[in-house]
Amino acid sequence: MAYTAHSHNTSFGDSNINCNNVTNNDNKIVNVNNVIADENPEIMLWLSPLDPKGRHQDVRTDRLDGVGSWLLETNEFREWRSNEGGADKAVFFCHGDPGVGKTYLR
Amino acid sequence: MFSDISSLVIDDLCDEPSEEDIAIAMFYCDFRDQQKQTATNIIGAILKQLLVRGEVLEDVQSAFQKAKKEVGGRGLRLPDMVQMLKQALATLPRVFICIDALDECIPKHLLELLGSLKGILHESHKTRIFFTGRPQVETEIAKYFITGIIIPINPKTHDIERYLEKKLEMDTECDAMSDSLRADILRIIPQRISGMCVRRSAVPTLWMILY
Repeated sequence: MAYTAHSHNTSFGDSNINCNNVTNNDNKIVNVNNVIADENPEIMLWLSPLDPKGRHQDVRTDRLDGVGSWLLETNEFREWRSNEGGADKAVFFCHGDPGVGKTYLR
Repeated sequence: MFSDISSLVIDDLCDEPSEEDIAIAMFYCDFRDQQKQTATNIIGAILKQLLVRGEVLEDVQSAFQKAKKEVGGRGLRLPDMVQMLKQALATLPRVFICIDALDECIPKHLLELLGSLKGILHESHKTRIFFTGRPQVETEIAKYFITGIIIPINPKTHDIERYLEKKLEMDTECDAMSDSLRADILRIIPQRISGMCVRRSAVPTLWMILY
C-alpha cells in the first residue's frame, strides 16, 4: 500500500488529520485512508457513530505556538514516547485545573 | 489548554523523523456529545483510525459481514469491539492512542473505557496511551494504570496572557470592549489563574462580557 512508502513511516487513520510539516507523502497517507473510509461507509458507521475527524485540525489551527512545548522536553514524556520504560510506562496522563482550558473559555 | 497539549503531542509524534513504523489514533472527548461517547463508541472511533493496513481492514470487514447476517446487522458490544482492537493492534507496529479531556465523559463510560484500555494494554505491549483530563480523574487513572506516568499541568502566566490577547484580538464585538475592560481582563484573569485560586464563576463572568 502507498502508506508504506511514507518517509516517517507514520500512519494516520483519520481522514482529516494532517501534520504541520505536511509533505506529499503525508497527503498520500491521508488519501489512502480517505479511500478506505469512502469505500466502507457502512463499516465506519458500524464501528462507531463518532467521527473525530476535524477536531484535531481545529485545535491545532487555534493552538498558540510554544504553549505546552515544555512537556515534550520532560524526561517522563521522552521515556513514554521512546518505549524506554517498557510496558510499565505505557500510559501518560496530564492533568490540571480547567482554569485556562480552551473549552472553558470558548 | 488540554486540547492544545493533546494536539501538540500528536503533532510531535507525527513530525518526528523516525525509522520506526508507528500508527496514531486520537479521540477528543466533548461534554456536548456525552451520551454517544460510550466506551464502545470511543474504542470504535479509535479502531476506525487504524484501518490503515490491509489485514486490519480485512478482519474488520469479515466481522462486519458476519454481523450483517445476524439479525440484519446488529451493533457491536464492548467485548467484541475490544477484541477487534486487540486484533488490530497485534498486526500493527507501535501504536499511539491519544485521548483528550477524559473528565468530559460520563463516569460510567469513563470507567468502562479505562477498564477496556487496561485489558488492551495487557495484551499489546507496543501500544502507548496519552490522556489528558482534570485532576478529578487522576484517582481512576492511578487505579487502572498503577505504573503510569502522571504529570500535573500548571499554566504559565505568560501563556495565559498570550491566550487572552489572541482571543481579544479575535473579538467580533469590538463595540462592547473598552480599554479599561480589556486591561481588567488581561490583569485579573492571569492573576487568578496563576494563583490557582480561580473561582469557577470568575472567569466565565468576565468572559461573557465580551459576547
